[in-house]
Amino acid sequence: MTITIYINGKREILECQPGDMLTEVLRKAGYVEVKKGCDTASCGACTVLIEDKPVLSCSYLAVRADGKRITTIQGVAEEAKKFAQFLTAEGADQCGFCAPGFALTVLSMKKELRNPSEAEIRHYLSGNLCRCSGYEGQIRAIKKYLEAVHD
Amino acid sequence: MEIREYARPKSMDEAMHLIHEEHGTAIGGSAWLRTNTKTVMLGVDLSDLGLEYIREFQDHIEIGAMTTYRELETSLLLASRFGKIFSTAVGHIVGIQLRSIITVGGTVAGRYGFSDLNTTLCALGARVVFYPNIEEDLASFIEKGYAGPFLIEKIILPSSARAAYQQMRISENDFPIINTAVAWMGTEWRVAAGSRPAAARLCRNAMKILADSANPSNEQIEAAAQESSKELQFGSDIRASATYRQKILPVLVRRALLEVRG
Repeated sequence: MTITIYINGKREILECQPGDMLTEVLRKAGYVEVKKGCDTASCGACTVLIEDKPVLSCSYLAVRADGKRITTIQGVAEEAKKFAQFLTAEGADQCGFCAPGFALTVLSMKKELRNPSEAEIRHYLSGNLCRCSGYEGQIRAIKKYLEAVHD
Repeated sequence: MEIREYARPKSMDEAMHLIHEEHGTAIGGSAWLRTNTKTVMLGVDLSDLGLEYIREFQDHIEIGAMTTYRELETSLLLASRFGKIFSTAVGHIVGIQLRSIITVGGTVAGRYGFSDLNTTLCALGARVVFYPNIEEDLASFIEKGYAGPFLIEKIILPSSARAAYQQMRISENDFPIINTAVAWMGTEWRVAAGSRPAAARLCRNAMKILADSANPSNEQIEAAAQESSKELQFGSDIRASATYRQKILPVLVRRALLEVRG
């Protein structure tokens, strides 16, 4: 099958099978910043934005994305770099494997929630697992990042 | 799951034809496809049928089958009519990325034992509408299934209810060991329990004990809570034994009833 999707603003015509999940199709097309983590809808590493909503690409049929706008971390690289500075400052990023999905979810949260509480931040990010950090540094980084961008 | 052929119908008639006549398999949220080893000859994607909505009518609320959990969780309409029960029941499921995919119709159709939502819908007296316009009590459908291929169009809820959801789980993102939802519907109480680990059932004897009083006594609440664990069957699995589930359920039912009664 052929699908047309708009990845980070670029029109892409891709081949896929009806049962292929979006993670595989994106990675085969070169978008390797979309990480293949658990591949069972548990870890959040494969998060992309579809029509601006964060979804697990490992559990989203590629054919269903036909005609839709998809954003990977490369599509929000400038914002992500800014956020990454806060992660670095808090020592909150180690192996970095979860970072693309994590950062996309944070940027989505920034748009959706105004001045979120710590509980709301933790709730919003509960689908992004990190095996290195223990989350505390990440929470500090997010709070400082949100304070900075809202000032 | 392997899907040999794929169709994305543009109308309910077309979708029904593909499911009924061409033996297609409806694809709702698609979240379980990754972990399923089945081969489907024809996958029928329901995402272009306009079934993503939550609408209020004079005496009821309709939820389209392709409405996502995230929409249930964040709906101001549902929160204003049912309190926090939807956000409580679905808000802990994995993460918003998954809840933005999984659908009401997919959950109801699957009649999943572990479901938080089906327990909630049973307690709220929901009805399920199969296309074309065949309406059935959702609790009855969860219990008995449907004879032959079907296509869920929407779920119908009463216009409001005071309701609460309680569950116990080993870890935040795991399936529940046991869950319950209770609702005061204005004239009667409804109590449902799920993840036994079998699918949700109404606790009819417990409902009888609570009768038609909006303010049941503490004794009635305790009796109903104890009865809920006697009238249902429980099973054992990797998460908990049947005995453990049976011990925990009355605690959760009592908490939920007290939450609603105040």
